[in-house]
Amino acid sequence: MKSLVQATVAIIVVCALLFFMADRLESAGSAGSKDTITVYNWGEYIDPDIIDQFTEETGIKVIYETFDSNEAMMTKVEQGGSAYDVAVPSEYMVEMMKEKDLLLPIDHSKLPNLQNIDPYFLDLAFDPGNKYSIPYFWGTVGIVYNPSLVADHLDFTSWEDLWDPSLKEKVFLVDGAREVMGMGLNSLGESLNAKDETLLRQATDKLITLSPNIKAIIGDEITPLMINNEATVALTWSGQAADMMWENEELDFAVPEEGSNLWFDNFVIPKTAANLEGAHAFINFMLDAENSAQNNDYVGYSTPNAAAMELMDPEVIEDERFYPDEELRDKLEVYENLGLRWLGKYNEYFLKFKMSIR
Amino acid sequence: MKKLSTASKIYLLLVFIVLYAPIFYLIFYSFNSGGSMNSFESFTLDHYQAVFEDSRLIVILINTVIIALLSGLIATIIGTLGAIGIVSIKDKKMRNTILSLNNVLIVSPDVVIGASFLILFTMIGVKLGFTSVLVSHVAFSIPIVVLMVLPKLLEMNTSLIDAARDLGASKRDVLTRVILPYIQPGIFAGFFLALTYSLDDFAVTFFVTGNGFSTLSIEIYSMARTGISLTVNAISGLVFFVTVLVVIGYYTVTNRRKRVSEEVQR
Repeated sequence: MKSLVQATVAIIVVCALLFFMADRLESAGSAGSKDTITVYNWGEYIDPDIIDQFTEETGIKVIYETFDSNEAMMTKVEQGGSAYDVAVPSEYMVEMMKEKDLLLPIDHSKLPNLQNIDPYFLDLAFDPGNKYSIPYFWGTVGIVYNPSLVADHLDFTSWEDLWDPSLKEKVFLVDGAREVMGMGLNSLGESLNAKDETLLRQATDKLITLSPNIKAIIGDEITPLMINNEATVALTWSGQAADMMWENEELDFAVPEEGSNLWFDNFVIPKTAANLEGAHAFINFMLDAENSAQNNDYVGYSTPNAAAMELMDPEVIEDERFYPDEELRDKLEVYENLGLRWLGKYNEYFLKFKMSIR
Repeated sequence: MKKLSTASKIYLLLVFIVLYAPIFYLIFYSFNSGGSMNSFESFTLDHYQAVFEDSRLIVILINTVIIALLSGLIATIIGTLGAIGIVSIKDKKMRNTILSLNNVLIVSPDVVIGASFLILFTMIGVKLGFTSVLVSHVAFSIPIVVLMVLPKLLEMNTSLIDAARDLGASKRDVLTRVILPYIQPGIFAGFFLALTYSLDDFAVTFFVTGNGFSTLSIEIYSMARTGISLTVNAISGLVFFVTVLVVIGYYTVTNRRKRVSEEVQR
């Protein structure tokens, strides 16, 4: 009995000590600030120094939380229980959250730095007039490959290159119905938002002829495989490709000329927001040219911030693999919300294609 | 104890290699200056320094430990008393029913528990954060403690209690001087198991964190989304090291106590 009591007291004392430590550490960064905002962002998607700078400049303390998928993020916002002031969903999720009435309109008069954003990235179909969202980063879907491991004539400027017989069992695809079906449609020269049964069937038939070349359909596991040269060719997002190329300099990335997907991650203000002033201040701060340039440098995805681009390393900006020229940009399409019925069809055909593999 | 044959020694060695290889592999690369796990370049402590410089990560680490210790403690108290209660039920059918209900909670998937807690907390208006995480960790640890304490209770000879009663012990004395000391190993085992359960839980915690409160499992998961950085290796190495220290500490303390009590008996 004595040792049980001793153990209990010891645990409580240790907890109290730890509490004290955590409290000291937490308040150390932000002495005396009452104002706080909660930011909900993807993992490793911001330069931590930027957050400190923001607190220094405005006196607003930032509680920073991370998520790993749009769906998980929406569930937590929808359930409430936590007051998120700023969240960063992708474009299709902005649309869904809008439909579910989970977002507050953004007051543009509080965002003077909005003028820094390239107009090309504003007023898009998923959020006309940017009423609810402000673009944060963008990217494309393309092909990452290792030039030393593929035949010389392949440069993946066309989707057709994936069908090359030399790539037997060498192609990895991301496990996403929209991405893969979109690739099928694009390779036929069609829109990746097609709402047409015959087109979808044609795209599936085309994809099925690709199946001998396919090694696997997986998710984030592609990154280490490509880095370690265990995979040759993969369909993936440009941001992920940038990560791979950072680790393995041999790799190259291409967005086929027939067209592809253009994706966005955007700042939004969820309905649960408790500090609207702070949320706007944070978004405005992130839109500032210098801050944005510093953040882009850290994160490494493509930025929509034209003013920041002027401050960045020209080598990065001129890299057409990640900042495609206008000719290619015109062929890129943003995913439209297809509605439940058509989304179901995309999934159905994607499944059919997946079943055709071996 | 009989001496082990060579074959069984090799077998044992293989088992331990399989168990420890991933951890040592991970720790080995936490000292890599190369920045990735592809090839070992040279020895560096940069990644450990990065962990200690990131006060956010340290706060999360401390939170994780606080939650584990507190939830383990509370769950052990509730679970132990619960186990004693279950054993003292005379009706056999009733006792089995309660035990099965306890076991159902052990095998039910974490996601389900997590989602139910999220719905419960938001419905009754509990703000997500420290309290919600603590409560849910206590909840999923209790059945484990019950299961760890129960065998000790069942193996206890009931005449011990009868004898104590005959000698005039009050109910309280029976509990604190007979039952609890007897089942103490079970209680400690239950506590340590609850501790590990809490430390490593992802699914339940994922649902019930909020308002800036996060634990290590959640943080590592979202960090790993963009590929495992060596900071993750370093922090895993630290956690493993501390765990080893705790286990060694626990054994030296219990061994010393055993020796002391043996000497007293002599």
